[in-house]
Amino acid sequence: MPANNLLLSSSPNAFTGVDSRKIMLAVIIALLPTTVYGVVLYGVPALLVILTSVAAAVLAEAAFRALIKQDVRVGDLSAVVTGLLVALISPPSLPLWMAALGSIAAVIFAKEFFGGLGANPFNPALIGRAVLLMSFPAAMTTWHAPFGALTDATTAATPLNVVKLGGSVADVGMQIAGSNDYGTLLWTLFVGNRAGCIGESSILLILVGFAFLLALRVVNWVTPLAMVGTTFVLSWILGMDPVFGVLSGGVVFGAVFMATDYASSPITPLGKLIFGAGAGAITAVIRRFGGFPEGVTYGILLMNAVAPFLDKLRVKKYGYVPAPKPAKPAKEAGK
Amino acid sequence: MSTKTFRGGAHPPERKHRTEELPIEYLTQVKEVVIPVNQHFGAPIQPLVKVGDQVKRGQKIADAEGRMTVPVHASIAGVVKKIEPRLQSNNLEGLAVVIEADGSGAEDFMPPLDGFSCGKDDALARIREAGIIGMGGAGFPAHVKLAPPPNKPIDLVIANAAECEPYLTIDERMMAEKPADLVEGMAIVMRVLGVAKGVIGLEDNKAHHLDALEAAIKAAGRGADITVQLLKTKYPQGGEKMLITALTGKEVPSGGLPMDVGCVVQNVGTFCAIAEAFRLGKPLIDRGFTVSGGACKTPKNLVVPVGTVVASLVPEHIQLDEEAVRRVIYGGPMMGPSLPSWAVPVQKNTSGVLFLDASEAKVYAEGPCLRCGRCMKACSCRLSPALLNVAIKAGDLSEAEEIGLLDCIECGTCSFVCPSHIQLVQRFRVGKQLLRAKKQKEAQRAGK
Repeated sequence: MPANNLLLSSSPNAFTGVDSRKIMLAVIIALLPTTVYGVVLYGVPALLVILTSVAAAVLAEAAFRALIKQDVRVGDLSAVVTGLLVALISPPSLPLWMAALGSIAAVIFAKEFFGGLGANPFNPALIGRAVLLMSFPAAMTTWHAPFGALTDATTAATPLNVVKLGGSVADVGMQIAGSNDYGTLLWTLFVGNRAGCIGESSILLILVGFAFLLALRVVNWVTPLAMVGTTFVLSWILGMDPVFGVLSGGVVFGAVFMATDYASSPITPLGKLIFGAGAGAITAVIRRFGGFPEGVTYGILLMNAVAPFLDKLRVKKYGYVPAPKPAKPAKEAGK
Repeated sequence: MSTKTFRGGAHPPERKHRTEELPIEYLTQVKEVVIPVNQHFGAPIQPLVKVGDQVKRGQKIADAEGRMTVPVHASIAGVVKKIEPRLQSNNLEGLAVVIEADGSGAEDFMPPLDGFSCGKDDALARIREAGIIGMGGAGFPAHVKLAPPPNKPIDLVIANAAECEPYLTIDERMMAEKPADLVEGMAIVMRVLGVAKGVIGLEDNKAHHLDALEAAIKAAGRGADITVQLLKTKYPQGGEKMLITALTGKEVPSGGLPMDVGCVVQNVGTFCAIAEAFRLGKPLIDRGFTVSGGACKTPKNLVVPVGTVVASLVPEHIQLDEEAVRRVIYGGPMMGPSLPSWAVPVQKNTSGVLFLDASEAKVYAEGPCLRCGRCMKACSCRLSPALLNVAIKAGDLSEAEEIGLLDCIECGTCSFVCPSHIQLVQRFRVGKQLLRAKKQKEAQRAGK
């Protein structure tokens, strides 16, 4: 009997087949519609930003892990996701070296310094964006209208910018939809034919990606719904147009692809709800009172800091429902 | 019929198709058996025979005083050759009685007993004397479950027909071929406990046996008191706690037993064994199990005398592609232990012997936790395996206890769904040992 061929390990001896790589691949596929649409809207420059960003993220991760003598885990595709996300929340005209820098900051500062995949306390792509926004405020806020060459002559304002600078929603309508009909404006925003970051404009395509992730059970609907819902309600309370607010900025993109980042968001159901609601609330407050027209980045990053505490909000365990047993005394004695 | 189930869990590939239609084969002639003395969950017992003794099939060969003990019987007639430690199906060595067959086939059964007219104490004594333990895997003494303290009223007897482990089909075949035994065993247990209601919890991948079961219930003159409930096929529904929750909606309190919610759960095989112990006076000396796996050329459902060494059945009764065997599992793939050899006896609680090939027995390197939360959704005890893992890795056993380490039923669903192949349940098993050791030390210190 060939006993030396036998594997010995503790049960279970079965596995679903869904590994980290497949999950990351699902996220990439979910991002593809809005990525392709970004390239359609803004042309080759957007494509170059995306490619640079992804390449920089992958290379930075591989180089850093080789440097600190850890397994190079390019195969798990997580760096591809990070690089792609950095690109999608950047303006299409961003100089390529800046795009690369954003990805490097995301992968090395936000992720690898903390232990790599799964260990980052803050969302890496948003850290990359925050670094770029603070270092190069002008480049990060230069926008272009869709379907035009990205030259200085074609710069345009984002819908939220128009409003921040005192414009009305009707002004935005005239600018992007060529009409002051409110319904036409909302439809244009929903489809995403407007100035903005490469991948955040088309709510429709973001929702397509979201539906895909939900169908594969890669993400859960609680966080995105809580975030978008809270932004909507609070915008309304604060006297802003809630429908316009939800459709015009990065809140849907952030809610679907950033707030659902596994590592930097809470793992418990109640934690997810509070996390989403908090990020949505901060977004609305920044939009109304802050210096920036958009608040999604900081809304999510601030809630990232709270996530470990939200993990304490665990569900009730099996067998504790009728009468919770006082397990405390034994524990105290142990200290 | 609407199907019921519990929250959480997962659905591993069933892989039952190779054996689910195959009638049980009975094998009575084996040359040698290696009978581990301690096969039950509870206090240890001692051999009653010496080397050289002549024993008959059904003769008691080991026993001890005490509530949590169950005797063991010779499963073939022959001569005691050795009494020595042997590798058991739990991967530990334990004292075993080796009996060589003399070919006489001499039997020493107990006299039959009418389970419907005998006294309650006689019935309990019969179940104990027949050496019956839970045949689902844990090996809990059956008579102990059937004698709850007076402050724990029982109102429901549950037959565990979930058989949620992949590959295993022996319970399914027992139900298909001996439904009357199952019903009889249940009826006896219900009478012993004074319970008016029994339910057979059947997963819906075995729904085609529903008619046969209901016919058997009717033929036994029961009907209102014993019913069959279909359950949505899901692992770990055969776990006692999950089965109770699926059927009744009640949750067994933490640290408690099924009797705390008025339930007694026994496996299908256990009920059949109880029926035989009364009708035939036959102790638990034969065990049915499923032989399967990709490296097994002759998958089948087989009944052999307890203590039959699987290797002795090869190649006459079980043909293997020996070069292809990568993992040998006694039990199911989700909870059964991997063994270093198949020269290990079939025990009272062995439900399957699986020979997995390389495609079924992969090993993976553990990756970092993504915090994806799949383990948390899958955990039928609603623990937080990902957080438990962090606490144990950090050596924080108090935090681990708070998260529910001791409530883990070790079903392995968390490890099954983990995309990073993290050895969650494996670490929890170690963590439980560490926590118990720590508590013991604290108790000692407090005692001084």
